[in-house]
Amino acid sequence: MKTLAGRIAFNLFAWTVVLVTAFPLIWMILTSVKPQFELFRIPPTFWPEQITFEHYVRLIYETPFLKYMRNSLILGFTTTIVVVVVATLGAHSLVRFRYPGRERLAQMVLFTYLLPSVVLILPLYLMMVWLGIANTIFSLVIAYTTFALPYALWLLRSFMQGIPDDLEAAALVDGATRMEAFVDVILPQALPGIISTSLFTFILAWNEYLYALVLVNTDEARPLTTGVMSMLVSAFNIEWSLLMAASVMMSLPLIIIFAFLQKYLTRGFGAGGVKG
Amino acid sequence: MSGNPLDKRYAVLGAMLIAPTVLIFCAVIVYPLVSALYLSLFTIFTPTLRGSFIGLGNYAYLVNSPEFWRSLWNTLLWTVCTLTLQIVFGVAAALMLHQNIVFRSLARSLILFPYFVSTVVAVLVWRWLFNDLYGVMNHLMLMAGLIKMPLDWLGSMPNAMISIILVGAWKYFPFVVIAVLARLQTIPDALYEAAKIDGAGAWSRFVDITLPQLRDVLVVVVLLRAIWDFKEFDLIYLLTGGGPIIATQTLPLMVYKDAFGLNDMGRASAVAVSMMLVMLSFMVLYLKLAGRGERESQP
Repeated sequence: MKTLAGRIAFNLFAWTVVLVTAFPLIWMILTSVKPQFELFRIPPTFWPEQITFEHYVRLIYETPFLKYMRNSLILGFTTTIVVVVVATLGAHSLVRFRYPGRERLAQMVLFTYLLPSVVLILPLYLMMVWLGIANTIFSLVIAYTTFALPYALWLLRSFMQGIPDDLEAAALVDGATRMEAFVDVILPQALPGIISTSLFTFILAWNEYLYALVLVNTDEARPLTTGVMSMLVSAFNIEWSLLMAASVMMSLPLIIIFAFLQKYLTRGFGAGGVKG
Repeated sequence: MSGNPLDKRYAVLGAMLIAPTVLIFCAVIVYPLVSALYLSLFTIFTPTLRGSFIGLGNYAYLVNSPEFWRSLWNTLLWTVCTLTLQIVFGVAAALMLHQNIVFRSLARSLILFPYFVSTVVAVLVWRWLFNDLYGVMNHLMLMAGLIKMPLDWLGSMPNAMISIILVGAWKYFPFVVIAVLARLQTIPDALYEAAKIDGAGAWSRFVDITLPQLRDVLVVVVLLRAIWDFKEFDLIYLLTGGGPIIATQTLPLMVYKDAFGLNDMGRASAVAVSMMLVMLSFMVLYLKLAGRGERESQP
């Protein structure tokens, strides 16, 4: 790639690959702003001849979409808060304290992170029925901790291993207790890690499908994933532009988080795979 | 960590901090895991949750069930094919995005995005692309002269299997890109400079420098993705539902079908447990590797 022509050719090639990969997502956005009749053109039009937001309006006023969205937001925030609080304490313990069984426990966390949900889901279903909380958002929060807690714990542990021991030791020498040192020294240092772990945990909860399918069977508690799919199944004739509009709306929070996370990407979703 | 000033007197405090984690783990992971083993010894009618003990009856049934073996075969076929595509495209895309191209960070974001969108969104978009009458895929293939008639992408074989493999590759190859890209950035430039001076071409630099440097990360990525692809439910269930008939039914789908379609929770648990036994070898291997990396990286 020394010559200018070579560089241009390579750039063209690279961007073609990128755009082909992103095409389904571009197509989703384009379809969502086309009027219904334009979808049935043969050959299909690429750019909409006429841009309309009617599908978004219908989605909000004529479908239970907003209810699903509210459920998903409650579910996402609750799961994230519970999991990140518990995991921050746990990760701090795993990194800074020494007690028998600590290494085993860390291994256990990684093991549970790999467990298939279909193994846990039947007993969890029975548990929710027995507790009388099936069909509630709360039951989903409990179920989501099965994958979100090991994930957050593992990620936070790798973040916290990066904080030098000396910082806490210095605070202790100055007369702070262990908990004071945790609050005043470790937490501020770990804050970027905690924030990105929270965002990744939120994405996991936002995108989850299987538990929601099995544990929740009413529109009152249904999150977006199963909710939007039920719109597909229950429709008499499938309105693709409406579904594409729903898909775009569902992906908006991810795009916002994505913009924030650029520099943490490798650490977050590479967790377990690549050491952060 | 032998010279650590934070000594063992604090063990109790440490145990208290980890206690909530351990309690939650016991309630939502350890108990269900044991319970799944226990349930697999019963036959349980899902709507009433009444059951009777049948010992290893469910497992005996599965060994003689062609459906179970077919599902296992489907799971292996899906895992091997989609994983291969993920690795090949993932490494290629990572090498490409490692070069200086214009708007590189935008290009990276666009490539990574399929991994972050919900499977539900990915499936809806692909079902629209695969639509037999108005889908873009059929249109483009017809235009290119590759096919004469519109294809039924999801409803017939072998198309359905090929379709889920392709969509799986599209959805999950960015994970490989993330991991490989991170590793590429740590290969010292001096290695390439030295090879250039020795007269090595682009291809031999790739084979002799890049690939060996990537080996460790690729082993880990392959294991991790193999585990995750093996247990994939959402993508396959939402694209084909296991159909036509059971042609794309993998083990996780069989668990769901047995439990909530055929209403036998005991047998479903037996399928789930069998599936986990198959996965266990991969999981143990991964834990070993992860443990080794851990010890090396600790001072």
